[in-house]
This record gives sequence, C-alpha cells and structure tokens, in this order.
Amino acid sequence: MKEVLEIGGRRLDSRFFLGTGRYPNPFVQNEAIRESEAEVLTFAIRRVNLEVPREDTILQHVKAEDFVFLPNTSGAKNADEAVRIARLAKASGLSDWIKVEISVNAKTLLHDPVETLKATERLVNEGFVVLPYTSDDPVLCKRLEETGAAAVMPGAAPIGTGLGLLNPYNLSLIIEEACIPVIVDAGIGTASDVVQAMELGADGVLLNTAVAKARDPVKMAKAMKYAIVAGRSAYLSGRISKKRYATASSETGDFPGEG
Amino acid sequence: MKLMINGKPEETTAGTVAELVESYGLEEALVVAEVNGKIVYREQWNGIRIQSGMKIEIVHFVGGG
Repeated sequence: MKEVLEIGGRRLDSRFFLGTGRYPNPFVQNEAIRESEAEVLTFAIRRVNLEVPREDTILQHVKAEDFVFLPNTSGAKNADEAVRIARLAKASGLSDWIKVEISVNAKTLLHDPVETLKATERLVNEGFVVLPYTSDDPVLCKRLEETGAAAVMPGAAPIGTGLGLLNPYNLSLIIEEACIPVIVDAGIGTASDVVQAMELGADGVLLNTAVAKARDPVKMAKAMKYAIVAGRSAYLSGRISKKRYATASSETGDFPGEG
Repeated sequence: MKLMINGKPEETTAGTVAELVESYGLEEALVVAEVNGKIVYREQWNGIRIQSGMKIEIVHFVGGG
C-alpha cells in the first residue's frame, strides 16, 4: 500500500515541497523541479515592475495543473499585511493554500509568533488552507494546530542559512505532539539534513536555497528527493538502539578453526 | 489622469481598469489588481472607471520559498 500524505483534503505522493526562488535561470529551475518530483511549489507575491511589465514570470514555465501552488506572504511584517497578500494570492484563482510567513528581523528572518498566530486564525476563518512557517517552538506549533492550520512548518534554521537542524529535540517534540502534518521548512543545507528531519518523523520538507544555490541545482534536487525517501523509510522501519560495544553480525559457534 | 500605481505616481489615458492593464500589455498575464485597497476581479475590470487619484496595485507571482 502506498503511503500518502494528505493536507487540506489533497493527497500528495511526494513529501518534497520546493521553492522557486534564486535559481540561476528558468531552464535550470524547470529541470530541478522535474527532477525533484515535488508536487507542492512555493511562490511569492510582488508588484509587477511597470518599467518591464512583460518580463519573464515564473509561472510561464510551470504547468499549473501538475502542481499544488503554495504562495507565501513573505515581505509581510504583521497579520494585516499577511492577510492582504493571502487574499491577493487567492484572487489569482490558482490556489487557496497559503504559507503564512511574517518576519520582522531582516538579519534572521525569524517569524513573529504573535502575528503568525493572528494571521493563521483569520485566514482559516476565511477558508484558506493555511500552512504557517514558524520557529521550532512546540507550544506555538500546538497553538497553530488548534487554530486550524492544515500543517505546521517549523524551521530547521533561519531561511537560507543552510545550517541544518539546529534543535532536533524541539522538532521531535513538535512531531510527537502534532495531529496535523509537520513540514520542516527552511535552513536545510544538504541531503543529510533532510534525512535527519525525515528520520525524526517529519511528514515532509520544504526547501529552496539548498537546491537553487547548489553548484548543480538539478543534481541536488535529485539528492534531496532520495533523502526524503531514505529518511522516511528509516523512520518507518525503526532504527536499532545505540550500544557502547560491538555485537558480531555472525554467530561465533561453528568457526572452522584448527582441530 | 494622474493616479498611483504600485506606489508610484503615473499618468494614464486608460478609461477602465481593463484598459489600464492592457496598456501595460498584461491582459494575458496572471496578475491580480487592487483598487483603493480592494481586490477587483478580472471580470470586474471593464466596469471600473479610472478616476484621478486612484491607488492601484498590480501584482503577480514571483519565485520564492
């Protein structure tokens, strides 16, 4: 039986959520998306540049029917701005999913927990499928769940840092407590970070920079895809416990020695 | 007619929101418009007259994580 992830009533075969920013060019981006086999793609909302209104847009290169679009509210500094961006995104008719992302500190881009909770509550009430990006705070993640979030997306480390899982203990608590999917979002550096997140029991991983800024983004997208599968399988298989001393893999009894 | 588009003062001869969007060649593009802080859907664009001093936002999707 195939193991399926379900968010907001939508079944997902892939646990890989991929961002669409910072790729060297649209061709590499498209190849990376194809290789990743991701079903959920994230985007941001910005003003059209009226000096070059018809410049290349990301969606020209992506077939809408193949993906679930997860627009984010990046740039929003409070709940009001996030709600506004979410409504604009929904008005496109592309998606009613929204990644609430409210950052106030330009250096860390860490989210504002109070505004994130407020925005999540309001958007849930307006019928959005809300996936808030949050810190790795187990209590906040539970509050977001109670508010009606469709999934929670705690960060492994600050956005774009590639530092990996800074607090695996907290992430494991979030996963243990959650009754909704937990998607580890942001701060991933390489495939082993993804494996670690999935081995903790995360339901999926969202990343962008680790693929887009890798020397070979397409190959890295492939590595991340396999890391998700490997980590998930290991999690479901139940790892052995750690021991201080060796245990031989073969029985010692009938060794063909002398005599 | 003088108005604010995407936070900048602009002049236009467009009579409606539909004509304004067309003046930028964006009629086929996936853009969302807001007039004076309120979202206006594509099917409403023809019916909304441009008035002096209007605040208009035209947004679209860009790459992001």
